Amino acid sequence: MKIIGWGIGIFLTFLVSVTSEAAAPQWQIVPSKSTLSFTATQNNAPVTGEFKTFTGEISFDPTQLTTSKVRIVVDMTSVSASYSDLTSTLITADWFNVKSFPEAVFIANKFTKLSDNNYRANGNLTIRDKTVPVTLQFKLAEYSDTKTHVIGTTQLKRLDFGVGQGEWKSTSEIKDEVQVNFDINTTRK
Amino acid sequence: MLIRNTSDRYGLLAILLHWTIAVLIIGMLCLGLYMTDLPVSPLKLKLYGLHKAFGVLVLMLALIRIMWSLSNMTPQLSSYLPTWQKLAARSVHFAFYIFMLLMPITGWLMSSAAGFPVSFFGLFTLPDLIAHNEKLRVIFAEIHEFSAFALIAAIVAHVGATVQHYVIYKENVIKRMWP
Repeated sequence: MKIIGWGIGIFLTFLVSVTSEAAAPQWQIVPSKSTLSFTATQNNAPVTGEFKTFTGEISFDPTQLTTSKVRIVVDMTSVSASYSDLTSTLITADWFNVKSFPEAVFIANKFTKLSDNNYRANGNLTIRDKTVPVTLQFKLAEYSDTKTHVIGTTQLKRLDFGVGQGEWKSTSEIKDEVQVNFDINTTRK
Repeated sequence: MLIRNTSDRYGLLAILLHWTIAVLIIGMLCLGLYMTDLPVSPLKLKLYGLHKAFGVLVLMLALIRIMWSLSNMTPQLSSYLPTWQKLAARSVHFAFYIFMLLMPITGWLMSSAAGFPVSFFGLFTLPDLIAHNEKLRVIFAEIHEFSAFALIAAIVAHVGATVQHYVIYKENVIKRMWP
């Protein structure tokens, strides 16, 4: 009996550790309270746009970073800028080519705590047909049982993804570096 | 050659400002008319960037010129001119000051409304005067374009008047605006 008891004990401990390992809670993005924007540099001045539609499968728990996972899918056709001619240029084949590549995907699989509420996520970002390792920093502005609020940023090089083909490969008018900012609110699934 | 104006001719600084701004404005009008019809391309973007930067330069020079003009006497127009021609000449001169402010400021406003801020040759970026707004961008673009054509008409009148002086009154008035 003692051995069986030990056995059950070990089994339960194992079970608890497995379930807790897999138990990073899942979060649902609140679209009305979430933004994904980018700032490029043209003629030495900033120009900003955003993606209005994006979805995500988010399992995150700051105490279980190893089992946390994030997959964000961006609807590239939802790109929008303050100037309509800019929006219509960005969807063309030379830029995002949204007809052939309607989605961009970011998968983060490694999270590192930097300081109090600040974290780093390593992952892979696919835009067009190019997948490139990307690191982003974010601040966990809010984390409760019911909701989270994350504010973060990363810097990309547009040419790594082939964004800007042909004569647009020139970086003298539009710089290679593009700042991406996100501000995402989620609720517990 | 005096730096300040006298009652019968312009001084060195007024002359320098007149010709510098004249060259810039004529260049800007040509560039503006050319670049707007180009297809979207890096060249078009580069030319827009230059147009904006030179526009800021014109605005700065115009402000200096206005202050200088206000602190100087204005040389008298040729005394033999009929009153209506004196009035016309002064009106066109006044209109140039309005254009020197109106063109850069509507350009700045349309850049702000478009969400394409203005950089001064990469040295600094001008703050946006208004928030992004497609409707206002279109309105300011139309004012900018209309003003450009009105400015061209004013330049034609201004240059035409010097030719008229030369041909009809046998007077080379450009001397007054030449060191």
